[in-house]
Amino acid sequence: MEYLSLFVKSIFVDNMIFAYFLGMCSFLAVSKNVKTAAGLGIAVIFVLLVTLPINYLLNRYVLAPDALIQGVDLSFLSFIVFIAVIAAIVQIVEMVVEKFSPELYSSLGIFLPLIAVNCAILGGSLFMQQKDFLNIGEAVVYSLGSGLGWFLAIVALAAIREKMSYSHVPDPLKGLGITFITVGLMGLAFMTFMGISL
Amino acid sequence: MDAKLKETILNPIFKGNPITVLVLGICSSLAVTVTLKGALVMTLSVIVVCGISSLILSLLRNTIPGRVRIIVQLVVVAMMVILVDQILKSFEATYAIDKQLSVYIGLIITNCIVMGRIEAFALGNKPWPSFLDGVANGAGYGLILLVVAFFRELLGSGTLFGVDILGRFGYVPNNLVILPPFALILLGCIVWAQRAVQKDLQEK
Amino acid sequence: MNTNNNVYTVIYTTAIVVVVAALLAFVSQSLKARQEANEKAETISQMLTSAQYGSKAEIDLLSNNQKLDKYAQEIDQAFLIDREGNVVDSLSIDREDLKVYGPKELKRENYNIKGGANATGDAHIPVFIFKNGRTVVPIYGAGLWGPIWGYISFEADKATIGGAYFDHESETAGLGSKIKDDPSFQAEFVGEKADFSSPNVFDIVKGGAPKDADGKSVTDNKIDAITGATMTSQGLDAAIDTWLAAYAKYFTANAPKKEHCGNCQHGHQHGGHGEHGEEGGHHHHHQHEEE
Repeated sequence: MEYLSLFVKSIFVDNMIFAYFLGMCSFLAVSKNVKTAAGLGIAVIFVLLVTLPINYLLNRYVLAPDALIQGVDLSFLSFIVFIAVIAAIVQIVEMVVEKFSPELYSSLGIFLPLIAVNCAILGGSLFMQQKDFLNIGEAVVYSLGSGLGWFLAIVALAAIREKMSYSHVPDPLKGLGITFITVGLMGLAFMTFMGISL
Repeated sequence: MDAKLKETILNPIFKGNPITVLVLGICSSLAVTVTLKGALVMTLSVIVVCGISSLILSLLRNTIPGRVRIIVQLVVVAMMVILVDQILKSFEATYAIDKQLSVYIGLIITNCIVMGRIEAFALGNKPWPSFLDGVANGAGYGLILLVVAFFRELLGSGTLFGVDILGRFGYVPNNLVILPPFALILLGCIVWAQRAVQKDLQEK
Repeated sequence: MNTNNNVYTVIYTTAIVVVVAALLAFVSQSLKARQEANEKAETISQMLTSAQYGSKAEIDLLSNNQKLDKYAQEIDQAFLIDREGNVVDSLSIDREDLKVYGPKELKRENYNIKGGANATGDAHIPVFIFKNGRTVVPIYGAGLWGPIWGYISFEADKATIGGAYFDHESETAGLGSKIKDDPSFQAEFVGEKADFSSPNVFDIVKGGAPKDADGKSVTDNKIDAITGATMTSQGLDAAIDTWLAAYAKYFTANAPKKEHCGNCQHGHQHGGHGEHGEEGGHHHHHQHEEE
């Protein structure tokens, strides 16, 4: 039950986009049509799922106070370790995918470099540090949930933007302006999930 | 100062503004704009981080191995961010402010503005223009941050820099303005205003 | 120079990482003392606020050193107790070596109170008694976004709240952050009583605590939640309940002997604050979250 609750919460209640507004840059840039949006969404799910548990283990067994050597607190290095892990994993994933599945690479590959600087990925690791998960299972569930939440958000926005291309939006507001406002309204809608506790 | 340097400084502040034109660094702009004070500290931190990281990476630009480019950039930026965080924590005057920014200080690392400018400018230019470009982009980012924070604090709390302004006239603070989605709506309006004036920025 | 050579790449990356890590370790070590001094002064300022030595803003006009001076001058006793209320250790109140419990220590003890995988041992929780007769105890828990903590002071009767100050790491500015920034919210605690006989030691109620015509709260252990910050209010309520329940035995055992008459009148006036039948509905208000 604990896991299910954490899973649902991380998708809807603690949604990376609508509750924390993390990963906005690529979210706005790559949401013009549903297909590419879904591609980026899947890449985010994948990278979160790999990096967050690794960072969890590093945080728990290396960085936390007294974890590695009694009396040594390495937590000041956490930003740099997390981001290095993320950048390295993204690079490795890119190389592996390129070598073994050129098809997948051609659809997913272009998004991977974007992801290293996606705040949602680092944000996930930083929130993981703050939330004090009890075991790695929780970290995995949380990373899967946050990734799915991000995926859901970008696909939803892309669908709205596809429809919106048929609407008469004032010229100066076209494109970026109306997208900001749309995301704002979607964010308000997602707030209804906040009272839910399982 | 020659014209090219002047262009390097002025362009990011208005015409090529990182937030409203390049769409970079949105995440942090939403979280820290509830109060003017927070927005100001964030602005200064980003200017420092962006300027100095650009300078360092521009100095290193001919030695960085291509394949690990992103990692080296991230490590340098992360180092600068940790330094800023540690220094803010160390002084009595800035300690309270650092507490307020907490997680978002860390997110300067992935603030796309910093990485974006390093990738697009610092790696191909001499140190001095790179430094100016970093500072100017930080400032352009900060300008939008401060405008958004001005409206959010004024309408959301009735205050400016914590000083009661609208409350004196019986204004009831509007909680909606404090919520993050409103920052996006406000950003949309700023983009609207800017593009109504600069018609060449309009999208089809 | 060929910068794409494998050996070069590895050496370069290693060198950068080592240089950066060494620099950061050096900076972090050399600033550590200053940072800890700031944290300690902040904790002391929060405790002094809760013990009613002035508002937070007034106390924060003092420099770090003056805060420590003031605390050393006003503190009477500080010690650690276990959940049975027994004193297990004393805390230094010597000006040069003041021991206080800030968020880091409280986080550790919070695990110990709750038990579970993160617990490191039995809970040893601090009690601070000031010379003005007030007893300050900390609370710690989770708000909407991150940890919240604070200090509550009790009058000499060990039941009436004399003052409270709360802090948070990342609650929504302007909403949840009111637990820290809004003195009128903290002032609501003053004069309320904690009910140490019940697991609901104190309630922060959404939809309004019962009030009389003058807007004064008529129940002893209930105050209003913050509008638009239900999750933060619930988190604070849970943090207060958890921590004060851990102190219950200490406070009950150390309360001054009851003066029969004064107390029974009190009991009538505030009829049955332990009963939840009437107010029960307020606890289950599942309204939309506005935060």
